Amino acid sequence: MSADKAPERTGSLDVRSITKSFGGLHVFSDVSFRLAPGELMGVIGPNGAGKTTLINVISGKLPPSAGSILLDGREIGGMPFHALSRLGLVRSFQQTNTFKSATVRENLARAIRFSGSPPSIWDKLDGMLRQFDLAPRLDIPSDKLPYGLQKMLGLVLAYTTSPRVLLLDEPAAGLERRERQQVDAFVQAAQADHGCAVLIVEHDMDLIKRLCPRILVLDAGRILAEGPPAEVLARPDVIAAYMGIVEDEEAA
Amino acid sequence: MASFVSAGLIGISLGAQYALLALGFTLIFGILGVVNFAHGGFYVLGGYAAYSCVTFLGLPYPLAVVAAMLATGALGYVFELFVVERVVDDHLATLMLTLGLYLMIGTGIQAVYGPESPQFGFPVTGTLRFAGFYMPLENLVVLAVCLVAIAGVYALMYRTDLGRGLRALADNRQVAATQGLRPKLLFPLAFALSCGLAGLTGALVTPILSLGPLVGEPVLAMAFLTVILGGFGSIIGATVAAFLVGLIEAYSVVYLGGSKGALALFVLVLVVLIVRPSGLFGKEARGA
Amino acid sequence: MARFSQFGGEIAAIAILGLSFLVPFVTDSPFVYSTQNLIAVAVTAAFSVYIMLRMDLLTFAVPAFMAIGGYAAAIAGLKGGIVDSFALTALSFIAPALVALPLGILILRLRGIYFVLVTFLLTQILQLLIFETPDLTGGTNGLVGMPATTLFGIELADNRAVLLLAIGVAFAAAVITALVSVWLRREFAAIEENEVLAQSLGLVVWRYKVIGFVAAAGLAGMAGFSLVNMLLTAHPTSFSPQSSVNYIAYTIIGGRGSMLGPLVGATLLVWMSSIFSTHGEFSEGLYGLLIVVVVLAARGGIVGTLAAGYRRLSGQWRAGGSAAPIVGTVKEAAHERG
Repeated sequence: MSADKAPERTGSLDVRSITKSFGGLHVFSDVSFRLAPGELMGVIGPNGAGKTTLINVISGKLPPSAGSILLDGREIGGMPFHALSRLGLVRSFQQTNTFKSATVRENLARAIRFSGSPPSIWDKLDGMLRQFDLAPRLDIPSDKLPYGLQKMLGLVLAYTTSPRVLLLDEPAAGLERRERQQVDAFVQAAQADHGCAVLIVEHDMDLIKRLCPRILVLDAGRILAEGPPAEVLARPDVIAAYMGIVEDEEAA
Repeated sequence: MASFVSAGLIGISLGAQYALLALGFTLIFGILGVVNFAHGGFYVLGGYAAYSCVTFLGLPYPLAVVAAMLATGALGYVFELFVVERVVDDHLATLMLTLGLYLMIGTGIQAVYGPESPQFGFPVTGTLRFAGFYMPLENLVVLAVCLVAIAGVYALMYRTDLGRGLRALADNRQVAATQGLRPKLLFPLAFALSCGLAGLTGALVTPILSLGPLVGEPVLAMAFLTVILGGFGSIIGATVAAFLVGLIEAYSVVYLGGSKGALALFVLVLVVLIVRPSGLFGKEARGA
Repeated sequence: MARFSQFGGEIAAIAILGLSFLVPFVTDSPFVYSTQNLIAVAVTAAFSVYIMLRMDLLTFAVPAFMAIGGYAAAIAGLKGGIVDSFALTALSFIAPALVALPLGILILRLRGIYFVLVTFLLTQILQLLIFETPDLTGGTNGLVGMPATTLFGIELADNRAVLLLAIGVAFAAAVITALVSVWLRREFAAIEENEVLAQSLGLVVWRYKVIGFVAAAGLAGMAGFSLVNMLLTAHPTSFSPQSSVNYIAYTIIGGRGSMLGPLVGATLLVWMSSIFSTHGEFSEGLYGLLIVVVVLAARGGIVGTLAAGYRRLSGQWRAGGSAAPIVGTVKEAAHERG
C-alpha cells in the first residue's frame, strides 16, 4: 500500500503548558511536548490520567482552559473541531465510531467528501481495505461488522482524510491479539502514505514498545516522564504509578 | 416613584414564580439531559388539581396546593420511570415524548373540565398600602411561598446527600455512576421534583393570573427565556435570570405597555446568544 | 434500479403530488376541495419540519415563517399590486429565508437544544410582532381582501383554480425538498447519525444546518402563502404558536425517514380532522398519543413501519459481499458524488 516514493513529512505539533479543568477539577495541567513532522509518539498512563481528555483538547473537541497548541507554528487552541480536521489534525475515537447504518463504502465516501481529500486517495485505500479484510464487506452496513472491523474502519476513516497529524485514542482497545497487529500495520501505512506525525494513546504496552521510539507518561494530569520506552518504563516512579500507588482514579 | 416601587415588587413576585418554573426545567435538563416540553403542562395540571381539591373535595386552599404538588410530582415520577427512561439518552426522542405528553395533558384537561376557564380565585384578597406604594396581598402570599420553595430547592440541592448526588449526575454522569450513584433511581426522583415544582407554581399562580387548558404555553416560553439567559443546567443562573425576566416584564408593562416587554426579552435573548451564548452562569454552549 | 430505490421516497412523493392535480377535475365536492386544499398547505408546511428532522433538529418555527411568507405575499398583493403566482410564490420563499439566514448562523453553531428553544420563542414572538405592527400587518384584524392571483395572466378566481394553485405550491415544495435532501443527503445523514464523527472528518456541520434551515423557512413561507391565498386573508390566527405541533405531528407520525412520511402523515391526519371536525379539540391529544407510540414502538412512523413490514414479507435480504474489484467499485462511489 505504500507509495513508491516516501511522501514529504508534514505536520508538527507544539503543545505548550496546556491545562484542562471542568469546574474546579483539573483533568490535566501544564502539559507540554513537541511532535516533530513524521514523528511517532506514544502516550501512556493509568486510567483517569487525562489521556483521552488530552486528545479531546488537542483535536479541538474541547477548548483548552489555558496554554497554547501550535500546528506548524500556528496557534490552534480553541479552534473548532472541523476546522482543525481541515488543517490536517485528525483523530480517531476510543469507542467504535462509524456512520452506523451506512455501508462501509458510504462511510468512506463521506469521509472523502467531508475532508476534501484528493480523488487519488481511492488508490491508496484499495490496499488498506484488502489488508484489513474490509474489501469484501464494502456493501455491509458498518454496524453489522464485527467489533474489530468497526474499529479498523474508524481508523481507516481518519486515514482517508489525508491527515498531517494523526491522534489515535486507544486504537487497540477491545481488539484481539491478532487484530492488534493490524493497528501496527495501519500506523505504518498512514506514516508511509501521508508522512504524518502520529500520537497514540494506548494501554497495550507491547504495542507501544513495538511502535513508538518515544513515549510520554501522563499521571494524575501531569507529565511524569518522557523518553524512549525502555528507559522510561524502567523508572521507579513510572512503575509506582502503574502499581496504583498514586491515587487518581477519580480524575477523568 | 410609588409606581416604580410597586412595579418592582410585582416584578420580584413574577420573578419568584418564574424561578420556581425555571429551576424545575433546568434541573431536568442538567441531570437527565431532557428538555421537558411537558413542563408547561404540569403547571396547568397543578392549577386544575388545586382547583379540583378546593371545588370538589372542599379542601382548604393550602392543602390543595400541597396535594397539587404531590399529584404532579407523582405523575412526573411515573412518566420518567415508564416512558422517558426507555429512550433517556436520545435527546430528540425525549423531546418528542414530552411534547406528546404535553398535548395529551391539554386534551385530557379539555375533556374533563371543558375549554372554558373555571372560576378559581385566590382565597386571600385585598391590597397592602404602605408609604405610598401598594401591593396586592395575594402577590405577597405567592411571593412568600415561592421564596420558601426556592430556599427549599437550594437546601435540597446543596445540603442533602440526594442533592449532592443529583448535582454529581448533572456534572458528569459516568463519573457519578462509578462512584456508586444510580441514575435509574435518581432520574425519576429528579423528574418528580421538577414536575412537582411546576405543579406547585401552577397551583399558586393560576388563581391570580388565569386558569385554562392553554395557559401552559406562554409559561413554557418564559421558562425557555429564563434558562437561555441564565445558562443551561445552572441552578443559580436560572434563579438570577428569572428575577431579571420578572422585573423586565413588570417594568415594561408600566413604561412600555402591551406586549413590548416580551419583545424586549426576546431581543435580550438574541443579544445574549451573540455576546455570551453560555448565558449568565452556564457552561459550554458551543456545538459538540 | 438502485437509484430508484435510493431516492424512492422523493420520487414517490413528487409523483403522488403530481397525480393529485387530477383530483379537482374528477370531482367538484366542496368537502374534497376544502380538505385537499388544507392538505396541500399542511404537506408544504410538513416538508419544512421534515428537512430539519433530517438533521435531528425539531423546529417549532413553521408558523412563524408561514406568517412571514404569507404576510409578505399579502402585502405585495394588496399594497404592491403583485398578483402573479410565480412572483408571489418566490417572494413567500425568499422573505422567510432571508430572516432564517442570520438567525441560523447565530443559533446553529450552538448545541442543538438552543435551536429548539429559539424556534419555540420565535413563533411566540412573531405573533406578538403582528399585533404590535398594525400599520403593516393589520394587527388583530389581519389583512383582508387579497386580490385573486394570476397564472400566465389568467385570473385564478374560482375554487378549482385556488386548489390547483395550492397543489402547485405543494408540488414545488416537494421538488425543492427533494432537491435539497438529495443534494445534501450525505451531509444530512452524517449529521443525523454521528455529528461528532462528521466534524472530526472535517464537515462544517453548522453551515449545512444553516442551508437546511433557510430552505425549511422558505418552504414554510410557501405554505403560508398557500394558506393566505386560500382564505384570501392574512390573519394572525392562521399562524398560531399552537399550530406548530400539528406540522411536527404530521411529519413524525407519517414517518421522518422518507419524504413520503410528511405527505402521508399530513394527508391522513388532516383528512381525519376534517371528518371529525366536531371533536377538533381532541385532535391534539390524539397527535400526542400517536407521537408517543411512534417514539416508543414504531420508530419509522406510518411509512417506515409499513416499509419495514413489506421488506420483511417480501423477504429480500441484502447480504453478503461483492466480489467486484475494489478500486472500480469505490471509484464508482466517488463519481456518484459528482
